[in-house]
Amino acid sequence: MKRHALRIQNLGGAKAVILHRPHPVVQALERQLLAIGLEVRQAWPDLGPEALGADFVFFDADMGHDEQFPWPAGASPMPMIALIGSEAPGRIEWALRAGAHAQLLKPVGDNGAYSALLIARDAFDVQRSLSVEIADLRRRLDERQTVVRAVTVLAARAGKDDAAAYDQLRQMAMAWRISFEEAAARVVARGTDRQDDGDDRRNRR
Amino acid sequence: MGDRKRRIELGLLYSRSGGYSLISEASRAGALAAMAAVNGDPALDLSFVPVERDPGGNADAYGTHCDDILRNSSARHVIGCVTSWSRKEVIPVLERHGGTLWYPLPYEGFEASDHVVYTHACPNQHLLPLLDWAMPAHGRRAYLTGSNYIWGWEMNRLAREYVTAAGGEILGERYLPLGSRDIGRMVEEIRHARPDFVLNNLVGTSTYEFLEAMHRLAEDDPAFAASRCPILSCNLTEAEFPALKYAADGLIAAGPYFRGAAGWPGSDGFASSHEAAAFAAVRELARMLNGRPGAEDLPLGTLLRQSPAGVIDAATHHTCLPVLIARVEGGAFRTVKALPAVAGDPYLTRPRPALAAPDLRVVS
Repeated sequence: MKRHALRIQNLGGAKAVILHRPHPVVQALERQLLAIGLEVRQAWPDLGPEALGADFVFFDADMGHDEQFPWPAGASPMPMIALIGSEAPGRIEWALRAGAHAQLLKPVGDNGAYSALLIARDAFDVQRSLSVEIADLRRRLDERQTVVRAVTVLAARAGKDDAAAYDQLRQMAMAWRISFEEAAARVVARGTDRQDDGDDRRNRR
Repeated sequence: MGDRKRRIELGLLYSRSGGYSLISEASRAGALAAMAAVNGDPALDLSFVPVERDPGGNADAYGTHCDDILRNSSARHVIGCVTSWSRKEVIPVLERHGGTLWYPLPYEGFEASDHVVYTHACPNQHLLPLLDWAMPAHGRRAYLTGSNYIWGWEMNRLAREYVTAAGGEILGERYLPLGSRDIGRMVEEIRHARPDFVLNNLVGTSTYEFLEAMHRLAEDDPAFAASRCPILSCNLTEAEFPALKYAADGLIAAGPYFRGAAGWPGSDGFASSHEAAAFAAVRELARMLNGRPGAEDLPLGTLLRQSPAGVIDAATHHTCLPVLIARVEGGAFRTVKALPAVAGDPYLTRPRPALAAPDLRVVS
């Protein structure tokens, strides 16, 4: 996982929304975020659609509920930081389910926002890249069946053993510049066509 | 007029002994000079009375001494601390008492406490312009040294990122505990690595020992002459010349002021930027308190909001400072590059002035 470097932090001018009722917590947090260089907006009781343009969301874990967010629980398109006052297990559980990537304890004082921003974004980035990787692996897993069929088709066509057919499929994928699974899908599709052709010819003979 | 002045206690928190006392003394001298100037200024309705505590160079003693000032005197404002380590020890105490620290020393950035005013330079005002100057002039292969705490670590982390992003290379990086004289290993590494420049973030005793050894190395091997392989720093001022003597010659430093430089408000004759920045801090405090009885007890945020705009940025509590890069020649700094004043940007999130065209010289 590649970390953001010094000047690629992109915190300057980044937009933060604080989902919290008007409260000294908001002022203290806003002071810290402005000092770091972010633009800050407060929202309550709902985030509203403009939150989709935010780079970070700070949300109240004490009074929060799922309906405040314009996305399904745990599916925020940006890093989220829980503002936790009462450290009750139920509230922490909800904050986690809502998709907290980091937390900041209330009352918010002189510091804490900078590390929360960096930790939340790193966790968000890791989570997102893992999701992409998992989706890809899952797709490839689903296509195992296709690969098996493609190997069978190639083996039958040229009278090869499975290992040689597998090798041929890999070379076809490279030649076509597509993934192994995509090549398998193509072979299976064509193989079926060809088999049909063959059958036709055989029938004509 | 003199006895009509409001007497306001002002904390002084400087270590008058220990490995970095030359810096403390310079900063303290600037604060005391400003207090004397304020006290003698008939245009101001206040005079400052120092409440002084000496942590003796022990980082862990700063919190206790600051607590003592805020608890047992009427002072709400304290000036002092030299190392970032000590400043970070003091901040929770300030929070507890609603006090304010005026910190007039260069530091590594990434802080903007609601209880601290930063009147010396942070990295966009010292390190980054220094590297912008050094890499085209000397090359991009650097060796990094530092004292083993946040100043050395963070300065060198920044330098590593900045130099690498510019296509340069870090040949080595080595740290020493504060006060250590054990510089043999790093000097030996530098001798073998033959960098284009050394960035020195050592503090106090370690830096004196290191620079002395580097001076001897340069005498033995001309490849390490100051003109070939300069040693750069962001915290070296005239205040430490007495400890360095001839070993100071050829050193390069970045700072907002060097002795004799024009354009620093308040006086025309500071001995170093440590003096100048402490002086500016106390003068600015006096300006904000003048004519407003009781203002001395306000928390910093409120005081700033209620005062006419001055030199302190309300969002970051940093100041706008000139950037000078200077070389020691014959016992004095001589400016090699002067840049216009730039606002302190502690988190490096604000746009920086455009760099000069990139240097295309091939560095082999």
